[in-house]
Amino acid sequence: MQITKTVENDNLTLSLEGRLDTLTAPQLEAEVNGKLDGVKTLIFDFQNLAYVSSAGLRILFMAQKIMNKQGKMIVRNANADIKDIFTVTGFSNILTLE
Amino acid sequence: MGFNLRGLAFKQSMMILAAITVVFGLIFGITSHKTQNMLNKITTENGEETSRANVNYIDKLFNSGKLVGDDIAETLGKSKMTKAELDTFLLHSLTNARTLIPQIVAVVLAYEPGMGPETPKGEFMRLARFSENEIRLITGANYQDKEWYYSTREGKTSRWQEPFIGEFVPEPIAVYTVPIFQKDKDGKDVLAGVLAVDMSTDFLKDEIATIPVSNSGYALITSAKNVAVAYPKSIAQGKANKEIVVREIRGKSSIPFARAAKDTSGLFLGTVAGGEESAIYYTTIHSNNWTFMVVWPIQKYLEDQKSMGKLFLVLSLGAYGFLLVVILLISFRVARPLRNLAVAAKKLGGGNFDVDIPKVTGHDEVAEFALAFSNMRSSLVENLEKQKDMKRIERELDLARNIQRSMLPGKERDENSEDDRHELAPFLLPAKEVGGDFYDFFKIDNDHLCVVIGDVSGKGVPAALFMMVSRILMRTMLKNLKSIVEAFNKTNYALAKRNDLMMFVTVWAGIIDLRTGRVEFASAGHNPPAVRHSDGSVEFIPSRSELVMAAMEDTVYNQQTYDLKKGDTLFLYTDGVTEATNGKDELFGNDRLLEALREGGNQNTADTCAQVKKEIDGFVRDVPQFDDITMLAVKFNGTDEPVWERYEKTINVAETDKGALKSFVQDILTPMDGAKKMQMQDAWERYEKIVDVIPENQDVLTAFVEGILAPMEGSMKSQMQINIAIDEIYSNIVKFSGATEVTLVVEIRKATLSARLTFIDNGKPYDPIKQADPDVTLPIEEREIGGLGIFIVKKTMDSVCYRRNGDKNELAITKNL
Repeated sequence: MQITKTVENDNLTLSLEGRLDTLTAPQLEAEVNGKLDGVKTLIFDFQNLAYVSSAGLRILFMAQKIMNKQGKMIVRNANADIKDIFTVTGFSNILTLE
Repeated sequence: MGFNLRGLAFKQSMMILAAITVVFGLIFGITSHKTQNMLNKITTENGEETSRANVNYIDKLFNSGKLVGDDIAETLGKSKMTKAELDTFLLHSLTNARTLIPQIVAVVLAYEPGMGPETPKGEFMRLARFSENEIRLITGANYQDKEWYYSTREGKTSRWQEPFIGEFVPEPIAVYTVPIFQKDKDGKDVLAGVLAVDMSTDFLKDEIATIPVSNSGYALITSAKNVAVAYPKSIAQGKANKEIVVREIRGKSSIPFARAAKDTSGLFLGTVAGGEESAIYYTTIHSNNWTFMVVWPIQKYLEDQKSMGKLFLVLSLGAYGFLLVVILLISFRVARPLRNLAVAAKKLGGGNFDVDIPKVTGHDEVAEFALAFSNMRSSLVENLEKQKDMKRIERELDLARNIQRSMLPGKERDENSEDDRHELAPFLLPAKEVGGDFYDFFKIDNDHLCVVIGDVSGKGVPAALFMMVSRILMRTMLKNLKSIVEAFNKTNYALAKRNDLMMFVTVWAGIIDLRTGRVEFASAGHNPPAVRHSDGSVEFIPSRSELVMAAMEDTVYNQQTYDLKKGDTLFLYTDGVTEATNGKDELFGNDRLLEALREGGNQNTADTCAQVKKEIDGFVRDVPQFDDITMLAVKFNGTDEPVWERYEKTINVAETDKGALKSFVQDILTPMDGAKKMQMQDAWERYEKIVDVIPENQDVLTAFVEGILAPMEGSMKSQMQINIAIDEIYSNIVKFSGATEVTLVVEIRKATLSARLTFIDNGKPYDPIKQADPDVTLPIEEREIGGLGIFIVKKTMDSVCYRRNGDKNELAITKNL
């Protein structure tokens, strides 16, 4: 999985490409964990993400908890299959999807 | 416990007491009466005895006095004497009389005026009187208005006068007066005067004083006019004779005693001289019409009677009280438990079956009643429970029967299997007990109609459940496999695999090609169906019966065929038809069935079934139906059109490619081995990959699975879901199981685009399915992030199964791609 970081003022955009699963989730965790200080808006761009497993959901869950305290978090361009997963797991209620 | 005035105890006690009172009263009354009578009798006897001698003596005395008087008067009447002669006569008479009767104290002679001697006009009265041991002659006068004189003169008969104290005899005397008759010139009797004999009564007093009378009694003599003549001195106490009156007590008042109005003797209650109440015996002294009485003061007299009555009363009261206590005891002994039982019965009636039934010891009726009551309670509870159970079971059986029936298609419309090439009617009449018959019909494609009939061994709920499973399996298998033999084999396998109860089911099923009338069928131990041909002939179709279903897992059934002609009716049935039994234990049997079908003629299928049922009814009559009666009749109408398969190909005429057309036709005409193709599609392909348990091998497994599934051209989505599932399951094994090796078995079935992935690891036992699903509705603050992985797998896969196989975990997921 490839992660592209874009910083614009206090906006951080993370564009993910490939699969967010057990193997790749640690990569994302490394990008998020302790690196969101000062970030007001965290944007995940899933344009090129194939799917998300529960390991990935865990990272999104962590990030959402952090961003709830300091700003907001947006998930963009998730495909239908990923949205299905969000729906099944109730994450559609937690996340802000665009 | 309050005293219930309307209670049984009180009523009973009162009634018994009333009865006893009446009895006691009667006894008391009768006894009193008897005692009274007896006492009266004794007293009378006593009185008689006391009186007899005295009365006789007095009678004798007075009779003698009377004789003396009569004798003197007679003498006087016969001769006219001078005064001197009279004196001598009187003296002589008195002296003579006194020698005979010393009580005679005077003889008195009184003439009618002018009738006496020497007194031509005036009175003449002369008397001889004994006094102080000598007799004197005395002249009297003024006698005509004296009672003793005029009463005799008027009455012209002799009589005893009331005793009185005489003018010349100053002591109480009894006077006997006699009229003196003389003959006149004509010889007629003429009253000349009156003679009186005076008798002293003092001796009577002495006499009476000496008469011994029992019980403080005494004797008393009264004159004809009830004036006391003789009585003991104790009575007198200074009273004059006239005051000593005998009165008779009548109720509360009293009247002077008059013997004249009574018998000559008797007993009465009365008083003497106003003294105490006494019982008085009286008897007549006939000589002078006086009365002799014996008097017993009542106190003494009644003493015996009273003491007897008192004794009786005391005894009665004692007995009465004792009886009262006994009755009350018995009554309460009866009433209290009855009342308690009544309370218990009320509670029982209200539905409280735990109510305490009062314990009553003993062997009497109440104890028996209490025991019976107690038994009734337990029987009641038992029966109610039984009834509840029975009702519940009955309800459930009804429900089961209803479900069972509703599962079976009733009309062709239900199955959407109608067409004009056939006509079909089912019939099922369940026996009272829920049974295991079933039928089924459905189309597996436009031209193929499936008909099934079956009969599960046994009865009741097990048979019903088994029947449902059998029917659903048959239907599913036939619809999916479209092959009689395959459906039979697989249904049998599924049924036999888990058949601990050793049940079995007979099934006959056929697939009718509605274009040709060809029936492909198999029979698992079921009766051969019958056919009625359009020409009216009937027969059983040749149907080889093979092993019943659910007996052996690997039974292989063989396909048989039968060709229905146009207008033939295929008649399927269960043994409820042929084994319907009449009162003589005869079976309806095959022959009667064929006969019924023949008689039915060319009817529609519903009427055919009805006809058979009618024949069965006529055969069994009122014997209850023991088994389900199930029938299914299908009439094959056939089609006039030949069967054509149609293929189309468009070719470009301008660039004629003869080869293309030729190969098109060749392809169609080269017969395809359909069965072989089906078999290939049916088979599961199996792939296996073994990897060490390290995270990185997840990619290896994902790639392995993708490689297998990609050619099947399933949806991207299902591919992605499978990838996620691999991720979730494998990462779980890596993290938690402690396994060192994972085997992934991938099975695919192209015919149905199905894939099955089985993860086998040698880790510790872990069943992910048992893990509780996370609550995905909670807000983020309350959410736990664990458990989501397996939850996603469960949600996205078609099935997830886990089993512990030896020392391995096996987790299988299936997915239609």
